Amino acid sequence: MTPAPALLVAALLVLVLGTAVVVATARDVLVATVVFGAYSLGLAILWVVFRAPDVGLTEAAVGAGVTTSLFLVAIAKTAPPTGDVAFSLRWSPRALLVGSGVVLVLGASLPALPAVGDPGAPAFGEGAAAAFYLADTARFGIDNVVTAVLVVYRGFDTFGEIAVVFAAGVAVLLVLPGREVS
Amino acid sequence: MPGERPYTDSVVVTQTVRAVVPFVVTYGVFTMLHGTKSVGGGFQGGVVVAAGVVTLAFAFGVTQTRAALNPGTLATVAAGGLLLFAAVATTSLALGGGFLDAGTYARLPVSGAAVYAVELVEIGIGLTVASVVSFAFFTLARAEP
Repeated sequence: MTPAPALLVAALLVLVLGTAVVVATARDVLVATVVFGAYSLGLAILWVVFRAPDVGLTEAAVGAGVTTSLFLVAIAKTAPPTGDVAFSLRWSPRALLVGSGVVLVLGASLPALPAVGDPGAPAFGEGAAAAFYLADTARFGIDNVVTAVLVVYRGFDTFGEIAVVFAAGVAVLLVLPGREVS
Repeated sequence: MPGERPYTDSVVVTQTVRAVVPFVVTYGVFTMLHGTKSVGGGFQGGVVVAAGVVTLAFAFGVTQTRAALNPGTLATVAAGGLLLFAAVATTSLALGGGFLDAGTYARLPVSGAAVYAVELVEIGIGLTVASVVSFAFFTLARAEP
């Protein structure tokens, strides 16, 4: 497994961080939404670079595509901001405290993670689930192990997830009955 | 409010969408069905199909697209996908295996039966995801502000 090209990863991280800052500070939510789509696109490419194309495809379709369009139809029902200021940053001390706390805790756990693609990582070790999945999947004739794990080994979870998606549709119908537009 | 009138004045948008959407939906269905062989699966494929529907709605108007894709039909498809998944999961019980046991299908005398079972599950997932996402979009678009 060749390591991800550092320059490409650095450029994508700059794109993701830059768009994140724009999303956080833009006053017009329309601007924030469109830039948020670019943020998701950067993340999707980053997933592909890190050899997680299944996640990348989901991020591109959900993050850049569907979420953006859902935000857009929601924004269409709001009023645009008044005034000339395009970007502003209002600090809330409590939000800053919670946000930096979460970042600190997550950052502190980073050194404990194995390097990307490390063959000695616990997930690939002797007796680990990954080795079993890789060896056992061939029995079913399924080439994509991600699909095999989702449907064959963790099928019960996936069934629950789809039930949740369906329940979300029911919830949308209950919460937003709306009126027929004549 | 977008979608309350068709954007017939922009030929570029409508013609581009007219040309692109069949490919988007085809790619979504391919992703749904090809999840056992390559990157993809029902969830990703379903979302891509829904993105195609949303693109249509942005180009031709939400009301017009919703008239073609009745919300009642979408709700039926969403329930059908979930039921298809449940049917595959329980058929393995009837065949003497466990709930959702792909190994039961692998023991059938049909070549690649487990793959077909998994692909049926993916179709079920894709139907539910695509219809719920389109449904949520249409419902949100027509909701009162």
